[in-house]
Amino acid sequence: MIDRRLLNNFDWSILIVPIIVSLIGVMTIYSATRPVLDAEQESFYLRQFYWIILSLFVFFVVVSIDYKWFIRFAYPVFISGILLLVIVLVAGKKGMGAQRWINLGFLSFQPAEFFKIFFILALSRYLSGAGQATMLGMSELVKITAAFFVIPAVLILKQPDLGTTVILLFIFTAMVLTAGIRKKIILIMVIAMVVSLPFAGNIIWNGLKEYQKQRIIAFIDPQADPRGIGYHITQSKVSIGSGGFLGKGYMKGTQGPYRFLPENHTDFIFSIFAEERGFLGSAVLFMLYFFIIWRGFDTAKKARDTEGCFLVLGVTYMFSFYFFINIGMTLGMMPVVGVPLPLMSYGGTALLSNFMALSIIENVRMRRFALYY
Amino acid sequence: MAERRRRKTETRKLWDEDPVRIPFQRSRKRSGVLVTVILFGFAVISLRLVNLMVIDHKRLAERAAEQYTVKEILIPQRGIIWDRRMREMATSVEADSLYAVPSKIKDKRNLSRELAPLINVSSKKLNMTLLKKKDRGFIWLARKLDMNTALKVSALRERSGYAGLGFLTESKRYYPKGFTASHILGFTDIDNKGIAGIELMYDEYLRGEASSVYVNTDARGNSLSGDVREAASGNNLLLTIDERLQYIVEKELSAAMKKWKAKAGVAIMMNPATGEILAMADRPAYDPNFPGRSRPSQRRNRAITDLYEPGSTMKAVLAAAALEEGVVGLDEEFDVSQGYIVVGGKRIRDVHKHEILTFPEVIQKSSNVGAVQIGLKLGKERYYNYIRKFGFGKKTGIDLPGEVRGILRKTEDWSGTSLAALSIGQEIGVTPLQLLAAYAAIANGGVLMKPYVVSDIISPAGKPVRSVSPTVRRRVISEETAAVVRDILKTVVEEGGTATRAYIKGNLVAGKTGTAQIFDPRTGRYSRKRYVSSFAGFVPADNPRIALIVVIYEPKGSVYGGVVAAPVFKNIVEHTLAYLDVPMEREENQIVLAGTPR
Repeated sequence: MIDRRLLNNFDWSILIVPIIVSLIGVMTIYSATRPVLDAEQESFYLRQFYWIILSLFVFFVVVSIDYKWFIRFAYPVFISGILLLVIVLVAGKKGMGAQRWINLGFLSFQPAEFFKIFFILALSRYLSGAGQATMLGMSELVKITAAFFVIPAVLILKQPDLGTTVILLFIFTAMVLTAGIRKKIILIMVIAMVVSLPFAGNIIWNGLKEYQKQRIIAFIDPQADPRGIGYHITQSKVSIGSGGFLGKGYMKGTQGPYRFLPENHTDFIFSIFAEERGFLGSAVLFMLYFFIIWRGFDTAKKARDTEGCFLVLGVTYMFSFYFFINIGMTLGMMPVVGVPLPLMSYGGTALLSNFMALSIIENVRMRRFALYY
Repeated sequence: MAERRRRKTETRKLWDEDPVRIPFQRSRKRSGVLVTVILFGFAVISLRLVNLMVIDHKRLAERAAEQYTVKEILIPQRGIIWDRRMREMATSVEADSLYAVPSKIKDKRNLSRELAPLINVSSKKLNMTLLKKKDRGFIWLARKLDMNTALKVSALRERSGYAGLGFLTESKRYYPKGFTASHILGFTDIDNKGIAGIELMYDEYLRGEASSVYVNTDARGNSLSGDVREAASGNNLLLTIDERLQYIVEKELSAAMKKWKAKAGVAIMMNPATGEILAMADRPAYDPNFPGRSRPSQRRNRAITDLYEPGSTMKAVLAAAALEEGVVGLDEEFDVSQGYIVVGGKRIRDVHKHEILTFPEVIQKSSNVGAVQIGLKLGKERYYNYIRKFGFGKKTGIDLPGEVRGILRKTEDWSGTSLAALSIGQEIGVTPLQLLAAYAAIANGGVLMKPYVVSDIISPAGKPVRSVSPTVRRRVISEETAAVVRDILKTVVEEGGTATRAYIKGNLVAGKTGTAQIFDPRTGRYSRKRYVSSFAGFVPADNPRIALIVVIYEPKGSVYGGVVAAPVFKNIVEHTLAYLDVPMEREENQIVLAGTPR
């Protein structure tokens, strides 16, 4: 199935660097969840490791299929993704105040995580067909917004999963902007946003759940209630800051195991990493992430066709937004929106969807000479 | 191979950069903008990272350390006090203390009603306390309850489900022997601070180091340090006191107190060779486990804090001084047939009338007239010097708090009668311990020893911290003089002496009685009814193992030292010699006076 020549063009760095990052993730999860009293080590790190193995398998499966097939089936896949989101709302498993999981018995997963990939597929197909010659017009913009974004966003918000919704919005905006919109429309939209902000702001504010409101308040002033919701941000900053230049050393961090920093093995895994590995380790980690993101944009530039270009741009945008929102959150620069750090945060579905995104980059990159064959 | 590789790379480059192939340059340009945005993003988070991890590092690291370390104050275990044979005299036990969280108590009135009788307070008062401090998070209700009360209170708590009551375990001082040696031991307050006796004197050694440790805790306040944390316990003390001797002394003293309906009593036993206090008893006494239930007069250690006029017991000091100075010979005779002597306009009488007495007989029969004559021969400067040398008018330096110096006026303040009065033990205020120390000097061959009650300070680990060795204060009289005085004092308990009731079969006793009227400093007169009856001596007379003084304050019925104090001395000594396994010297005591020292 896989051409030998294709294998020659296989870019190993797109696979190896993420594996390194995800293994760093496993180690950090191990340290973050290590027991300090005589309790047993929780098996988060092991489960994450198994998910890495599964993700690698999926990576190779996805890579072996030419992405033109993905593009061809983009719409049906997108619609089935929407269906999954509906199923979650109807028959999903509840956990931590949200209904995000579908339980298959042997494992449970979050459809929203995969949906982002399906979303990118469908959008890539549409934009590569539409935005070639002319810029997107107003009516077209409204149409695709309604079709591609509004429906899934409402379904995901209903779970509720603000983080994923925000990511979807960012991906959508970024891709549409990349495809090109008339300057007049951008201008109108900006004016409309500024004018409607007081009203829309009020409506949005009232539509938010209480904990979501608190997160925004806490972001604006973390010291307002240091033991309450601002606690998260404060503790994350304390964790990162106490690492210093060289860090406390692996397994020497206190914020996670001593349970000062909640969600330490999921959304706030970077805080734990920074505490133990210091500024130096964090800088190296940032470089690894930068490499992955840069590799994505580089691949988009070199893709053999528009579909591939949009596809890779889409997943790279997704990866970048996740990275920046999560890091911005742990550094106290953004409100807490419950967005995991790609590849490192504990969570199987997210890990799998990230590796799928990477495999799409690889897929497009290794097939960029396909016209020659 | 390398050539092929190079060519391949070049082809790829050509392909990648072929502008014709890509009809979507515009999108590429826009994505270029986004790459710039992302680079900018990396710059921003990196700067923020520098800000947090390098610039703010110190502050945030302190914050982290601050929140996972908790200062815990460790209450140290107070040291144990042992007698000389390692019997526990004072130790610490765990006791439950009852506290309340007033804000959590809903029905304060009912709780007060039910709880108050258990912890011995009025329910009204308890209710008031709870209401007054209703916003407080913690108040003590009753500290260090005995086990029975604690059980009753916890049963009440279970039964009625009162929230806001709790127990904390504290360390409580416990004196297993109760009244025994209470004046030496002293006691502590509710916070285990020494208040009296050895507990006060050696508080800094006993109390230990109230240390604080920093304990790692998690966010929920669970302590994460697995190792046992113990405060530095206090040092343990080894006393010179022998609990059995103490018991004997206290028992006999109590019996005498009862028999003579006395106001108070003191008995001190000392090793004359070393100054070690073997027993020191005071009556009335108190239970140091419940110091609050006693009156101050019960807690006073009269052996070192109360002055009395020694009376005739002082004559031993007079005799020693006269002999050492050579102003009298052993065969010298004193005419006491008049029955009184007038000195400085004051008439001093004898209790019993005698004719001519030799010098030893003056002491044996405790003739006041004879003693005054000896005193006059000795002269005031010389006598005063010996009184000083024997340690009167100065603290003995015993390691117990509250010792007084006594009253001894300087010769320039003496009146015309002072020398005569001092010859019979008046116009001087001494503590029983001072007198005993003087007798011990006579007993041990003329050396004044510093009395002490703590022989060793031992660390909790069992290592010696400080060991006290006997301290010689000074040589007072020569060994020869001391031997002669001992011989004279032996005759006191023999036929014809004043203390035949102190006679012991098998061992020779040396001692002297004393019967003194109590001088009331407020009226400036001697009382006619209130006496202090005493006996001081040592045994076996020629090789003394113990020196002992018995002082009975205000006995009723009889007042004479030979009648009141001497039998107590005898009883204590008999039991003591048996306990100490002192061999009997001879079947029947014989008095052999030694020759003249010169």
